[in-house]
Amino acid sequence: MAAWFSKVFKPKGAEAPPIATGVNPPMPDWAIDDDEEDELVPRQIINPPILVDEEEMSGWSEDIRIKAKLSNIESACVFMVDRPILDGFSFWCPDKDFAYGSSPLAAAIFDVGGVGSVLLHNMTVTVTGDGSGVHTWEEGARLIGAVIREFLQSGKPVVQPEVLANIPPEEEIARRIQKVIDEEINPGIASHSGVITLNRVEGNTVFITMGGGCQGCAASTITLRQGIHQAFRTHVPEVGGILDETDHSAGMNPFFKELPAGMRG
Amino acid sequence: MPRLETFSLTIKTGTQGRKDIPKYSINGFPLDFDEIEGEAEPGKVLKVTGHPESFPHTLTLSGPDEGIWEIEEVNAEYFCSNEPSYKIRMGAVTLDDHSDLNIWQERPPEVFEV
Repeated sequence: MAAWFSKVFKPKGAEAPPIATGVNPPMPDWAIDDDEEDELVPRQIINPPILVDEEEMSGWSEDIRIKAKLSNIESACVFMVDRPILDGFSFWCPDKDFAYGSSPLAAAIFDVGGVGSVLLHNMTVTVTGDGSGVHTWEEGARLIGAVIREFLQSGKPVVQPEVLANIPPEEEIARRIQKVIDEEINPGIASHSGVITLNRVEGNTVFITMGGGCQGCAASTITLRQGIHQAFRTHVPEVGGILDETDHSAGMNPFFKELPAGMRG
Repeated sequence: MPRLETFSLTIKTGTQGRKDIPKYSINGFPLDFDEIEGEAEPGKVLKVTGHPESFPHTLTLSGPDEGIWEIEEVNAEYFCSNEPSYKIRMGAVTLDDHSDLNIWQERPPEVFEV
């Protein structure tokens, strides 16, 4: 048997070496924390206001003007129109077939091609791609912008009136959403110390806050898109927009550690 | 999330400043700025540059150890890997010994008329 082997693996039946008992060895000096100033101090993270050049926000006129904002996070493009599109309600179309039966504007947008979903909300139209890459985002944005402008000029209803008439009252939507949160979502994210709070319902738009471990979590967008949206839309299909009002970069969230006073600048 | 190689801040202090030079923290780790010009005394302008060379889950500017620091405006420029730099203007904030400033701002979405 090789010498190194016997040092690592004792032969069968050999006595195990005695286990040391008694007091623990003394702590090294560097590990002893006797500085009272090293107490943990909670830090508040302040978000500054972001200043935007005035010329970027000005220039609206009597013509229908539309600006496209490309999101580099969620593969979506938000079209900001200078007038209300759907007053008081929001409307979400998950696919072309649904759009054809409910929203002529969404159907016209789907006809451009490469569209995955359409959300109409107040003065915005949010379009996600279907991943086919039919158009670049810039090309698609110009085509969709032209479709929205032409449609609004036509004066046709963007959503069929009978569809809007069937949207339940806010109280009923809030009750059903709260049930989904209590019975499905919060138990599911409790292991991550997360908690979802329903703030309010306006029309059929749902406003939530992601708290606990969800606040500031890098995976919160995935939780929102793949978990919360899906659960809400499955159980309450009349829901339109779902807006997260959480300030994910502020407060004592998981990424911001409490630092000892001596470590602060 | 892009990898942040370098960022620079131009900080204009208001009527209440600080004598020391602030640190910055990336993902909770405090670091000194690599390049420093000017000061954070009242009415003065401080220009600092950091080279974190990391992925900024958080990026904060430390508040003063005592007193308050009135910041009038912060002009930030971010240099990330494999993409052009971009600038962000931040407005007035006041920091104290229990607060830090969030200085990580994602590239603003491209906006154009269609």
